[in-house]
Amino acid sequence: MLETDRIQLHKLVEEALPELDMMIGWTESCDPLQTTPVFIRDAKLISKLTLGPFCSQNLAGYLVKPPALESVPKDAKPIGICVKGCDSRSLVALIQEKFISRDRVRIFGIPCRGTIDWRKVAQRVGLSDVKSATVEDDFLVIDASGTTHRIGLEDVLARKCLGCRYPNPIIQDVLVGQVATPRSSSLETTYRDVDALDNKPIEERLAFWQSELDRCIRCYACRNACPLCVCQDKCIAETREPRWLTQRVGLPEKFLFHFIHAMHLAGRCTGCGECERVCPMDIPVTLIKEKLNKIMEEMLGYSAGLDPDGVPPLLTFNPGETEI
Amino acid sequence: MAVKIFIATDRLDSVLEKLSTKIDLWIPALLKDDKSGPTGFVPYEPGKAVAFDRQTTMSLKKVLLPQVETLLRFEYRKEPEGAINSTLAVEDRREARPTLVFGARPCDVRALTTLDRVFSNGPYVDPYYTERRKNTLFATLVCRQTDAKCFCSSVGGGPADMEGSHLRIVRTDDGYIVEALTKEAQSLLDNLGDAPDASREKQAAEIVEEVSRRRVGDLDTEGSAEAFRKRFEQTDYWVQMVSQCLSCGVCTYVCPTCYCFSITDEAENLKGERLRSWDSCMFYHYTLEASGHNPRPTKLERYRNRVGHKFSYIPERYEGLLGCCGCGRCIRSCPVSIDIRQVVGHLKENTNE
Amino acid sequence: MNNNPYLPELATIQEIITETGNIRTLRITLNDKDRMERFTFRPGQVGQISVFGTGESTFVINSPPTRKDYLQFSVMKAGEVTSRIHQLNAGDQVGLRAPLGNGFGFDEMKGHDILFVGGGIGMAPLRTLLLYMIDNRADYGDITVIYGARSPKDMCYTYEFEEWRAGGVNLILTVDAEFPGWKERVGFVPTVLSEVAPSPNNRIAVVCGPPIMIKFVLFGLTELGFEDQQIITTLEKRMKCGIGICGRCNAGSKYVCLDGPVFSYDQIRAMGGEL
Repeated sequence: MLETDRIQLHKLVEEALPELDMMIGWTESCDPLQTTPVFIRDAKLISKLTLGPFCSQNLAGYLVKPPALESVPKDAKPIGICVKGCDSRSLVALIQEKFISRDRVRIFGIPCRGTIDWRKVAQRVGLSDVKSATVEDDFLVIDASGTTHRIGLEDVLARKCLGCRYPNPIIQDVLVGQVATPRSSSLETTYRDVDALDNKPIEERLAFWQSELDRCIRCYACRNACPLCVCQDKCIAETREPRWLTQRVGLPEKFLFHFIHAMHLAGRCTGCGECERVCPMDIPVTLIKEKLNKIMEEMLGYSAGLDPDGVPPLLTFNPGETEI
Repeated sequence: MAVKIFIATDRLDSVLEKLSTKIDLWIPALLKDDKSGPTGFVPYEPGKAVAFDRQTTMSLKKVLLPQVETLLRFEYRKEPEGAINSTLAVEDRREARPTLVFGARPCDVRALTTLDRVFSNGPYVDPYYTERRKNTLFATLVCRQTDAKCFCSSVGGGPADMEGSHLRIVRTDDGYIVEALTKEAQSLLDNLGDAPDASREKQAAEIVEEVSRRRVGDLDTEGSAEAFRKRFEQTDYWVQMVSQCLSCGVCTYVCPTCYCFSITDEAENLKGERLRSWDSCMFYHYTLEASGHNPRPTKLERYRNRVGHKFSYIPERYEGLLGCCGCGRCIRSCPVSIDIRQVVGHLKENTNE
Repeated sequence: MNNNPYLPELATIQEIITETGNIRTLRITLNDKDRMERFTFRPGQVGQISVFGTGESTFVINSPPTRKDYLQFSVMKAGEVTSRIHQLNAGDQVGLRAPLGNGFGFDEMKGHDILFVGGGIGMAPLRTLLLYMIDNRADYGDITVIYGARSPKDMCYTYEFEEWRAGGVNLILTVDAEFPGWKERVGFVPTVLSEVAPSPNNRIAVVCGPPIMIKFVLFGLTELGFEDQQIITTLEKRMKCGIGICGRCNAGSKYVCLDGPVFSYDQIRAMGGEL
C-alpha cells in the first residue's frame, strides 16, 4: 500500500513541479527509522520522495523559518509541501496568523497512520545497529545486529499519534493515498497523558517536571522545530536586552524558558509534537502544551489549526467574555 | 602496586564506591529512568547504575568544560571615606580536584586532543580548562558498541585507541579488567581487586586484539580542508546539503570537540559573576554584532562554518589536527537526520562544477 | 599580564571627552601604577574594557605607545556594553584586558609614504598609528590623511586637527553634504580619494571606516594602482574571549581578535570566510 502511495506521490509531484517554485517532502536518511526533509527543484530528484510512518518531521516550519522560503518574490510560483494530518494543522495556523497565504502553497495531503518514535523502537530492540526497517501491514520489521524483530506498529508510535483525532489533512490540494481512521474521537483519549499527570498530587507533579526539565541542555531544538515559534532569532531566551534569562543552566532558567515557550503557544499549538520528538534529552515537552490545549478546548471550545478562516481566541478580545 | 585488576560484574558498584573515596569520580549513567533513555556523565553516587552498554548521549566534555562556570566574581564596595565612592574587587578563585572519569570511550578521550590544543597550548592558556585537565584521569572502555553512525577510525582514532587514557577497561563475559596504563593511575587500583586469572586475561587480550583491528567508518577526510575552501562560495552545495537544518544547538552541545563559548556578566545590586557558558555557532546571536550586522545570518553560513571549523580551519590552524573525533553524536541526535559524513564526504566530489 | 588571561586589571577613568552625539572617548589609567609604568603595546592593538555586571567589549587603544599618560579608547554607542560605558563618569572603575591582537606593522612602514583613509569612528584605530608616526616623524615620508564623516558634528578628534597638521600631516577633511560654516571638502570619502589621487609609489594605505566606505575605498585604491599588499585595514567582529579561544570571531581559519584586527588586503583575500 505504501509503495502504491509513493508512486502516486511521485506522479502527482511530477505533474505539479513545473508550476512550483520547489517541493518540500521527505526522503530516506542514514537512519532507517527516520527520514530527512528534502527540498526539490530538480525533477530528477522526485523519485527520492518518500512517505509513511518514518516521515516524522513536520515540514510546515520551513515555510516561515529563516531563511524563510516566503521571502521569495510574491509573484514567485507556489511552494509544494507534503503534510500529514497534524502538519496540516500547523499550516492552517500559519495561514490564520497570516505568516503564509493559502495561494502560496500547493498542499500534498497525506493521510497518516501514525509515525514511529525511534526511542520506543530502541526500548524494544536495544540501541543496537538498526540495519533496515520496513512496515509490513501492522508490523514494523527491523533488522538489527543480525536479528529480525517484528514489532506491532501500535507499540512504537509516537505518543502524540496514540491520541490523534486528525490523521487526515485539514486542508490539501491533492490527497495521496487512502483516508485514515482517527485513533481518538474524544478529549479523554487525546488528553489522557495530561489527565494522568493532573490526577497526581501537586508535589508529585512538581517533582515530575523538576526531574524532567532538569535534563534540558538549552539547545533550543524544541523551539526551532516548532513551526509556530516564529520569533526565532528574536527569541527572548537569548536576547540580553531585555534580559529574561541568564546563561545559567539551573532549574529556574529551564523552567522559565519552557514555560515562556509554552505560553507563547497558548491557543496556537496544534499538538504536532515536534518539540518533544526533537528533544535530545527525551523531555516530554509537548505535554506542557497539551495541558494548555486542553484548557483552550474546555474553556473556549477552541482547537488550533482547524479552520483557516477562524481567529485564534487569544488574538481576539471580547469585552463580554465571562470565562476570563 | 596493582597494575591490572579484575572486577566481577556484580562487584562493580562496590568497587566504584571505594574508588570514589580516593578521587572525585564521574561515570556514564542514565539521565532518565528508562534503559534506552538519554545518558551522560554524572558524579558518582552509591547505587547509581553505570550505563556501559552504549555511547552516552552527552559527551564527557562537561567534566573539563562545564556548560556554565564562573570565571570571575566582582563586587563594588561602598566606601564612606576616600576619594572615590566605591572600590571594585575582582577575584578568579578556582579549584580543580583530582578526578577520574570511569567508562570514557576512546572517541571522547581523543576529542580532548583538539580541546587541549585550543585551551592549553597557547598562545594564551585557559587556566580553568587546563587545571581541570591536569587533574583528570580517564579510564577508557575498549569500545565494542560501535554503530552505523560511528566513524572514529576515519578521523585518526579507533575503538581500542588508548591515546590520552590512563586506564583501560575491557569488558569480559563476567566482569571488567581494568589496567593502569600510566604510573599515576596505578595507585588508584590498590586494594580494589585481585589480578585477573589467566583465562580472563587471555579473553581480554583477545578482545583488545580483535577490537584494535576494527575499522569504524569509511569517511575519507584526506584533502577536506582544501575541498572545503573550494566549496565555500558554492551556495548551491550548502543549500543542497543543509537546507533542512533547524539551526538548533543539538549537534554542538552533544559534540565532544565543539568547545565554543560565550561570556556574560550576571549581577545583582553591587555583586555579580562573569560566566562562561557553552555557545553554539548554529545560533543567530553567536556572531550578531551590535551594529546589527551578522556575518553568518542564516543556517547555511552557520552550518558551513561548523563543517569548516572542524575539517578546514582547525587543521589549518593547528598542524593538521581535526576538529572531529568521529563519535557520530551529531548524526544520532540531529532532529532532521543531517549526516556530517555526507556533507564532508561530498566536499571533494566534482568541486570544479 | 597575570596568568589568567580572562582576569581584567582594574583601571580608572581619568577623563571623558564627548566626541559626537554617539561617540565618547575615555582616557583611563591602570590602578596599579607600576603596571601602568611598564605597560607596552603596539599601535593598532586592542583592549577589552569590562563594565562589571554588563560585560566586556573590544576597542582599539587609540593613543600611541609614545604617549603614556593614559590609554585612550573611543566608544560608539551601539549595544549593551557601549551603552553602559556611555553612562560612566570620570573616576569610575572599569576592567581592562590589554594589549590584545596584532597591531600595525609600523616598522615595515618606515621609509614609506603613508595614506590614511578614515570614516567616522574608523579614525580611532588610525589615530594611534598617526600619532606614533608624528612622534617618529623622520622615519616616515609623506603622511596624507583623508578623513570623512557624515557631517562636521560626526567628526572625532576635531580638537587635535591643528596638532596633526603641525606634525607634518597633510590632513584632508570631508563631510557627506554641505554644512553651514564648513570650509573643507564636501563629498564621500571614495570620491575625495580619487580627487586627491595620492601616488601608490612607495606608499602604504591604511583604511578604516564603515564597511560600505571600505568597499568603495578598496576599489578606488586599486584603481589608483595600489597593490593588495599595500593596503592595510582593521576588521571588526563580535568577540568574547579576545584571545583566540572562544571561536566566534573567525574569518576562515583566522581569528580577528588574535591574528588581527590588522590585516592587509591580500591577507583578507587569502583567508576567505565570512566578513
